[in-house]
Amino acid sequence: MSLNKISIKIGGPAGSGVFTIGLLLSKYFQRAGLNVVYTTDYPSLIRGGHNTCCVRAENEEINAEVLNHDVLVALDDLTITEDLKQLNKGAVLICDTKSTFESADYQVLKVDFDKLLDGMDKRYFNTIAFGCVIGLMGEDGDMLRDALATHFRKKSQEVVEENLKAAQVGYDFAKEFCVQNNTGFLGRITKTQNSLGNTVFMSGNDAACVAAVKAGVKFVGEYPMTPSTSFLHYMAAHELDYNITTKQTEDEIAAINTAIGASVAGVRAMTATSGGGFALMNEAIGFAAIAEAPVVVFECMRGGPSTGIPTYTDQGDLKFVINSSQGEFPMVVLAPGDIEECFEESFNAFNLADILQTPVIVLLDKHLAASHFTAKRFDTSKLKVDRGKYINLSDEVLANNKRHEFTEDGISTRFNPGQPGGIYTSSSYEHDETGYTCEDSENHVKMMEKRFKKYDAIPKELLRPKMYGPEDADLTIVGWGSTKGVALDAIKYLNSDGLKVNYMHFVYINPFDNEEVKSMLDSCKDTIILEANYTGQLRDIIREKTGFYIEKTYFKYDARPFYFQEVYTKIKEVLKK
Amino acid sequence: MNEEIKIEDVNFVGGDNLKFSLLDLDSKHESQWCPGCGNYGIVMAVKNAILKLGINPKDVLIVSGIGCASKFPHYLKTYGIETIHGRALPVATGAKLANKDLHVIVVGGDGDGYGIGMGHLMHTMRRNINITYLINNNEIYALTKGQTSPTTPKGKKTASTPNGSIETPVNPMALAIGGGATFIAKSFSGDINHMSDTIARAIAHKGFSIIDIAQICVSFNPSMNFKWYKDRIYNIDDLPDYNNKNKSWGMIHALESQDDKIGIGIYYHNDDDRETYIDDLPEDEKLSLVRQDINDIDIENILDNYE
Ligand SMILES: Cc1ncc(C[n+]2csc(CCOP(=O)(O)OP(=O)(O)O)c2C)c(N)n1
Ligand code: SF4
Repeated sequence: MSLNKISIKIGGPAGSGVFTIGLLLSKYFQRAGLNVVYTTDYPSLIRGGHNTCCVRAENEEINAEVLNHDVLVALDDLTITEDLKQLNKGAVLICDTKSTFESADYQVLKVDFDKLLDGMDKRYFNTIAFGCVIGLMGEDGDMLRDALATHFRKKSQEVVEENLKAAQVGYDFAKEFCVQNNTGFLGRITKTQNSLGNTVFMSGNDAACVAAVKAGVKFVGEYPMTPSTSFLHYMAAHELDYNITTKQTEDEIAAINTAIGASVAGVRAMTATSGGGFALMNEAIGFAAIAEAPVVVFECMRGGPSTGIPTYTDQGDLKFVINSSQGEFPMVVLAPGDIEECFEESFNAFNLADILQTPVIVLLDKHLAASHFTAKRFDTSKLKVDRGKYINLSDEVLANNKRHEFTEDGISTRFNPGQPGGIYTSSSYEHDETGYTCEDSENHVKMMEKRFKKYDAIPKELLRPKMYGPEDADLTIVGWGSTKGVALDAIKYLNSDGLKVNYMHFVYINPFDNEEVKSMLDSCKDTIILEANYTGQLRDIIREKTGFYIEKTYFKYDARPFYFQEVYTKIKEVLKK
Repeated sequence: MNEEIKIEDVNFVGGDNLKFSLLDLDSKHESQWCPGCGNYGIVMAVKNAILKLGINPKDVLIVSGIGCASKFPHYLKTYGIETIHGRALPVATGAKLANKDLHVIVVGGDGDGYGIGMGHLMHTMRRNINITYLINNNEIYALTKGQTSPTTPKGKKTASTPNGSIETPVNPMALAIGGGATFIAKSFSGDINHMSDTIARAIAHKGFSIIDIAQICVSFNPSMNFKWYKDRIYNIDDLPDYNNKNKSWGMIHALESQDDKIGIGIYYHNDDDRETYIDDLPEDEKLSLVRQDINDIDIENILDNYE
């Protein structure tokens, strides 16, 4: 068994604290200098059901969840029935003494939680379980303390101390068991220095929110919908420190329309939603585009409408989002693949929205939105707010009021209500240069051309896919959004097996550089596309725009993310043929 | 309808000692409304109110939806946003929150406000955001050529109800009292003085003000013409127990005012009803959001939390 490499699954009913244990363990491993992938799987319930989370931690760079685990923490018997089959040889099962489960195949650590609680508040049950897992590894207590103190940093000293006490009880119990039975993973985890230097551990949504704060968003209108709700919570939690007006509106229609109103009034504004909510926002997207109002929309995909399969992941909204229009207008759609891209591209999204004066949609999916990953701490020093052709209220008094003036690059100077000299009406009607309704055909042609011309302002380098892995690969995996993680992990292992596979990653999907994409695909020896949907939406888009048809496919539509083993095995099979 | 109004005696109270005239508010756009349409008078009344209050036109933002009434922003030289059907209120809310120094006036038809936009109306009233909402209520969908609207009287034959509408119409004043607006009035497009005065008071009111304006539509609701209204309109100020500080009083009279007897005037007006939405915001709004600097925002301490 190699050092500093472990995967842990935790399962139990909703409300039992499964995720708290997972997050505590993740923090522990991050503090130990490891890279961490933390993923969750739960139905749309407040109590009961079957909730699980996985914590994978390694010295090396990791980007996806694996199917097999070294430890299973079962907070109920259902977890044992459901998840035991996923355990590696020699794995440890931690469960309550009340469980009647016995096994010769696994090491079973039965914990008398009631006894260990010994008068402590029942809430500390999770911390005891966390302590037990760490006890299996026998690492010294400093890291334990460090992880707890950082996890509970916003809480009082008393809470930290109580948690520490509970963790220690679990830890001692498990360590004692392991020493006596010569089992567990003693010595498996040692504190190291992460080669990335300082790391952050966060979800895709968090990374996007941090970027939005950095980008100077001032208005957030949102209506809660999994898996985008954490945007609302996050921005509201920071409204005082950063003066961000965050409003839960009556519905998604109001959410985007308040954002557009704020944008026309001159501030950076955003909303976040999932597919069902985005459907309600559709008309307003067209409004923003015609009125040339910048707005950033985060769309976190899950399958189906209000109901659908609401707490699971999916890449099924791509074509819907790209085609969310009545008539035609420019709109940027981009899909970050990991938390670094969530951060960078969300920041970019605000700049692009301002530069192009049009809606920018950032597509995430539940997997990336809610899973947590470690990454090198973001470098914010080079990030510059670029508002494009924008006149601040405190700037000069305008001489003309041609808000939609025809210009060489299609972009007109933007100014806001309150600006002396600039009076105009911002309209969703087709209009002339001043904003006045104008349905004249010649004017409409010029306005259409003006609006689409703005695409040229997007830096070219953003519009081509990124390549990872060896140049002269025998097979290129093509993917977008959150499949990046699993693709990178797969090509790493395939390469070390001596197989030449690389990965072509699309972030910018609407628009992308058609010619460049075509020539990149033409120069691949063979291609396979990976998408978490049924119909292969990116495949269709690529074919529509370049004529290139990717024949080999791996579409997964079981509402779960791609797991490392699945992709690895699939690619091996394809290469064998 | 397009009566001249004398503005010599208008009291200018604008900041910076600026004085504006009707000429300053003239957008110079040729109207697309039918001759005799009540909307002309409403534009005039809004201009009068702006002049009366001495507001600099650059600080006025008129937000509309779509419909005949919603063409409004083009006929005044102020800032405007012509949104989409029924969404003027959320757009106006966002704009006001971004720049609280603007005087935001929302204008739209009865279909726009009480039909497709009804959900937003209820919530905007509840929030008491400091904006003014004018509903040019012609009791018909005009721009789409004469279908029934939420305020169309029961029994009325329209293009979509050839056998007579069987729905009970919305009572705007009762709705607004129940919804929590803090300035609630009814006016008439044929009475410029009444409208000018009521709109000026509504703009000056701290909180959400709503004025339902009985608006003449000569083309799609010709039976409800000037004379029809004149025969039915009474002024609620003249009632002996007039007390617009009292919601219950307003509600009783709102329910009494129906199609055969239309009471104009202010049904409820209370500056002290409650704080406005912006005054209640927890974040520091001393400086309007739009005036806040967003360059080089430091997020290092946020990132520290993720280490
Ligand atoms: C989403 C949407 N649905 C329908 C329409 C068609 N439409 C335009 S105006 C209007 C109703 C107008 O009635 P009202 O708001 O009373 O205004 P009026 O024309 O009477 O002033 C409708 C249904 C539209 N523009 N958008
Ligand atoms: S149709 Fe009616 S509401 Fe529309 S412009 Fe003509 S008179 Fe006015």
